[in-house]
Amino acid sequence: MEIDGQELKSHSFKFDVLTALGPSTPAARLGKLSLTGRKDINTPNFFAVSSRGVVPHLTPDVISAHAQTGGIHMALEDFVERSRTSTPPIMDIHGSSPLHIFSALPSPFITLLAPRRTPAVAAPNGNTNTSITIFTSTGFQVLSNKAYINYISSLRPDIAISLADVPHGTTPGTKRRDKMADRTESWLSSLLASRTNAHTTIFAPILPIDANAQFEYFNHLEENATQIQGLALYDSNLLPDIPATTALSQLPRLSLDEPRSPNHILRQIGLGMDVFTIPFIGFATDAGIALTFEFSNSKQEDGGVEPLGVDMWSPTHSSSLMPLAVNCKCYACTSHHRAFIQHLLNAKEMLGWVLLQVHNHAILSQFFADIRRSIKEGWYEEGWKAFERKYDSEMPEKSGMGPRVRGYHYKSEGPREVKRNKAAWGNLGEVGPRKADVEMTVDSEVVVVSEDGAEELAKKRVAGKV
Amino acid sequence: MVSLLKLASVTEEGVRFLSPHDGSPMLLTPEHSISLQNTIGSDIIMQLDDVLVTTSPDHARMREAMLRSVRWLDRCIAAHANPQTQNLFCIIQGGLDMDMRTECCQEMVARDTPGIAIGGLSGGEAKADYCRVVNTCTGLLPELKPRYVMGIGYPEDLVVSVALGADMFDCVWPTRTARFGNAITKHGMLNLRHASYANDLGPVEESCGCVCCRKGDGALNVTRAFVHHLVAKETVGAHLLTMHNVWYQLALMRSVREAVIEDRFPAFLHQFFRDLHRGEKSKYPDWAVEALRTVGVDLLQEEKQA
Repeated sequence: MEIDGQELKSHSFKFDVLTALGPSTPAARLGKLSLTGRKDINTPNFFAVSSRGVVPHLTPDVISAHAQTGGIHMALEDFVERSRTSTPPIMDIHGSSPLHIFSALPSPFITLLAPRRTPAVAAPNGNTNTSITIFTSTGFQVLSNKAYINYISSLRPDIAISLADVPHGTTPGTKRRDKMADRTESWLSSLLASRTNAHTTIFAPILPIDANAQFEYFNHLEENATQIQGLALYDSNLLPDIPATTALSQLPRLSLDEPRSPNHILRQIGLGMDVFTIPFIGFATDAGIALTFEFSNSKQEDGGVEPLGVDMWSPTHSSSLMPLAVNCKCYACTSHHRAFIQHLLNAKEMLGWVLLQVHNHAILSQFFADIRRSIKEGWYEEGWKAFERKYDSEMPEKSGMGPRVRGYHYKSEGPREVKRNKAAWGNLGEVGPRKADVEMTVDSEVVVVSEDGAEELAKKRVAGKV
Repeated sequence: MVSLLKLASVTEEGVRFLSPHDGSPMLLTPEHSISLQNTIGSDIIMQLDDVLVTTSPDHARMREAMLRSVRWLDRCIAAHANPQTQNLFCIIQGGLDMDMRTECCQEMVARDTPGIAIGGLSGGEAKADYCRVVNTCTGLLPELKPRYVMGIGYPEDLVVSVALGADMFDCVWPTRTARFGNAITKHGMLNLRHASYANDLGPVEESCGCVCCRKGDGALNVTRAFVHHLVAKETVGAHLLTMHNVWYQLALMRSVREAVIEDRFPAFLHQFFRDLHRGEKSKYPDWAVEALRTVGVDLLQEEKQA
């Protein structure tokens, strides 16, 4: 792998829809996304979500060896915490792809730059006509569209999502909705007007508001369809509302909708979504959950509803020599077994999360490969129905602790929040047989419950154990 | 049995302690410890020993611990189920008292275990004391058995201990310090959390051959700036530095072996300390200079040309 130094390759982006386009009914579709110098991506597919430029727990060499994903979602807010006092280090890098170089990302992977992480932390102050608020590891900052355009032209990501006025965490009122569309439109216009080079592919955001409120913005997109190469949807429900003109319907559609479970993904694919970003993969890994679902057309109905994943913290796995998922061919499943993963989690060894992350990404890659096959062979709808019958609709509940939650992952939103990280140690005297009864505080009442009851309550997160 | 010693009570039978998982009382006897290790099946297994912190002033208790370790060694040898496939190492105790160490060496060498560990060190004693203990023990140990000094990991400790006649070491420090954001290099340790590395686009260590630093095909080109960006924030930062630090330690020991084989180990020691202190002899640690003098290498003198 060599990142093509000073050589300026012509950057060409292509997306082909491989299935015949129905006139207006939304339907699952196959496509192929290709970019000079990068892996081709068959769609529907997903991009891995990164944090601070890395897929959590996976070093660049592990990504090379074990990740089948073709692209990485990167958030600008993860790189620019030093912008107020000095130059962000990534801006010191020159060459054809500073994002790849800085984050040591192997060159076959496509980089997708978005202003904010997915999911993004809600900002206390709103956006303005010229800027949005971002959350860096050192706090909230203002990012103007001008600065964002400047970052895009310096960082030269393969794909950049134009700045969108999205109020993360709140529901906008009527006036705000009009503003969102106006601002997003004007920010996109500035980006398109300013582009002096062709190193970056631009995806236009679709806002999470109803279609009527962004009707004029849609018209604007249609008029500029030749200059944008894709759509990034903050709400997948809008897919059917996007004008079904040839120019727009042939653009690749990226979901920033944060699907909560595979069922949501299947629904979006049914509406014609092409590429996904899936934060629940990382959530599952951090919670110690190994995903186990599969997409298939097998008709067998052996009764019970299966869970989407297995909680590896559960002591039931402590002597299980099974792989994480029965049919999985990933490194973790072919080289290790459940008992080892359980042991690693218990010992708080970071390797546990590495193996789970490798596995969970492999499960999703296989899930999408099977979905593509089903669309090709014409059994997508049946497969989807079978999947809904076979599996739970929601991800399993997390029971164990993940790695330490960091400041840029969340922001406390009010008083009385439960601590996200358990204290790593306490005083020496506190270690020992526990008292039979544990005093706990629920709201402001002091209640005394038995040990069993405490476990139960702690599970439901009513309160932490004292 | 050294970890969590405050929670443990040692009797002739074994060590009683509270489980770190659920606080339940547990008893580890020499027999049980060997049976566990027989089940695990590792190539090298260690006897159960009674360890005091070396700086303990309680001479009587120290002597009791040393003698008990010898008795427990006998019980371990008797309990060992796989002497043909697993090598049981004894562990020499005796604190910083040379007479006690000598006595322990004689007793344990007489038991003829396949390998010999020097234990109880790396617990906060002065480096000069440490060197004296290692020197005393290695002088009494048979030539053809591996000598393993437990808990040693700083690069300068490794090379000096090799000079004093030790063969093997183990230590959590290279990986633990990696998780704290520290990179080991031949010029000393770099704390990559420091803001001065934020815009440093050089490799973690120039001319290092690890996955992060190496050049050529498949090079990742990890920079100090990138590690700074990740360290203490993403586990990947810890992984990258762990790979670097472990590589450094293995490469250091490889170069030690090559120097010994090519009969230029004294020159190697000179070079090692020159690199570590950028040639400033005034910064060389006294304990290392002293220890190496006992084996005929004087770091402060000009190197003898071979």
